[in-house]
Amino acid sequence: MGVFRIEEADRPHMWRLLVVWVILSVAGVLAVMQIHYPPYDQSIQGQDQARTLALLTALATPVFIAVVMLLLYSAIYFRRTTRELVDGPPMLGNTPIQIAWVAISSALVIFLAIFGIVTLSNESVAQLVGAPGRTIGGGQTGGGTTGEENKEIHVQVIAQQWYFTYRYPDYGGVETTHLYLPVNHPVELHVTSLDIIHSFWAYQLGVKADANPGVDNIFHVTPQKAGSFQVRCSELCGLWHGSMVDSEGQVVSQGDFDTWIAQQQKDFETIAKAVPTYAPYYFPEPLTKGS
Amino acid sequence: MLRRVSFVAAGVVIVVIAVVAFVGLFMLPRPGPLEGTTTKLHLETVAAVGSALEWPRPNDPHADWVSYLPTTTWTVPANSTIQVQIDQEDGASGLRNPFWGKVFGTEGATMHVTFFDDKGSPQESDMTSIDPTQAAHTFAIPDLGVFVPLLGVNPNAPANSTNVITFSFKTKGPGRYRWQCFVPCGAKTIFGNGGPMQTIGYMGGTLIVT
Repeated sequence: MGVFRIEEADRPHMWRLLVVWVILSVAGVLAVMQIHYPPYDQSIQGQDQARTLALLTALATPVFIAVVMLLLYSAIYFRRTTRELVDGPPMLGNTPIQIAWVAISSALVIFLAIFGIVTLSNESVAQLVGAPGRTIGGGQTGGGTTGEENKEIHVQVIAQQWYFTYRYPDYGGVETTHLYLPVNHPVELHVTSLDIIHSFWAYQLGVKADANPGVDNIFHVTPQKAGSFQVRCSELCGLWHGSMVDSEGQVVSQGDFDTWIAQQQKDFETIAKAVPTYAPYYFPEPLTKGS
Repeated sequence: MLRRVSFVAAGVVIVVIAVVAFVGLFMLPRPGPLEGTTTKLHLETVAAVGSALEWPRPNDPHADWVSYLPTTTWTVPANSTIQVQIDQEDGASGLRNPFWGKVFGTEGATMHVTFFDDKGSPQESDMTSIDPTQAAHTFAIPDLGVFVPLLGVNPNAPANSTNVITFSFKTKGPGRYRWQCFVPCGAKTIFGNGGPMQTIGYMGGTLIVT
């Protein structure tokens, strides 16, 4: 059994592959960096996720190209020329090459680990998932956040078969049929359910959170671009799960948000007395009907 | 030479004018106001399909299930006003989310209800909301923003009484829109969301807009 080494006759292959790999890798990395990665940049948190995806794709591209290139090159240049089955020469390994690929792989993994830790430590990402049980906003009679730029707006996402509604405890506990958020304003989402397990997925905002009955699941998001976004359920939840979609979510200017929420409060007056006071979560009632 | 240049210039001007006119005539016309038809939709909501007053289905495999009748697939024209009459025969069982006690998305954000008061006397009124605990069912087409709570028949009403709820809403463009009931009205099922709530043909269906 011999030690694996690159024979003199194979050196042209090596150089040819190396040059092609470098060229394709540079081109590939440049190409994948041009892609707009989901969930895009409508929120700070979404932008962080898109940036992480871009980095992972860029790092994976040279590896992917190397694997595919070696596979195709070998299949073309080193294919069997006769029908006779012959074993290749036995090989033990090559220490420098082994050290090289272990070192490169380790460097990639360690870099990604450090990048991940730094990203998770980043304020915007660290805020994405908060601690349960904190006090909610201004209670039932709060006047909102106008003039308080850094104060988070609290929004309760209420899932039920098969629609999401939203309560704004900072604005008198008003409940709405669509989710409107002001641009460049931090938002604290409290996700819960009235019946079974759902999952609130505001795709363009980069937020996906389980909605469980009896649980207040807290997430944070800061929209940074005005525009519409889609909310859908991402947990199989029954007959109309596939239709549990709302395409009318909106990130709007603070002025438009103030106008919209004022109209919602006015509309809400007709049912306000019948709607229970804001609670962090609810339990399904009634448990059954007619039994 | 000058003559040739003039011909070329004139030709260019004619082509430019033709292109501008073509694009302009294509861009400028606006569709006129949508003059949709008015369609009537007459439905019945019952506590048990087997004993419905208007469209009973005694041979239904689930004769004791709540349901909309006579069908749960409704075909209506696009961009039109749909006048709905629901003959509501079921008693109240209450909304899980009281918010749906409010009327959304109908013309005038209101509905007209004939019902029976606590003395069993017939009454009628325009309503923008009802007591959520008195809801028997809801008529809801989420993608059209239509949510209408249906008042349950008062237990003091005469036997075989029916509340009649009328309202109208506008359809959008062609497509399939799901509708559903938001009252957990599947009797004897966990959370009331089983049985007829999870089976097409009872408390959910499709609005086909053509």
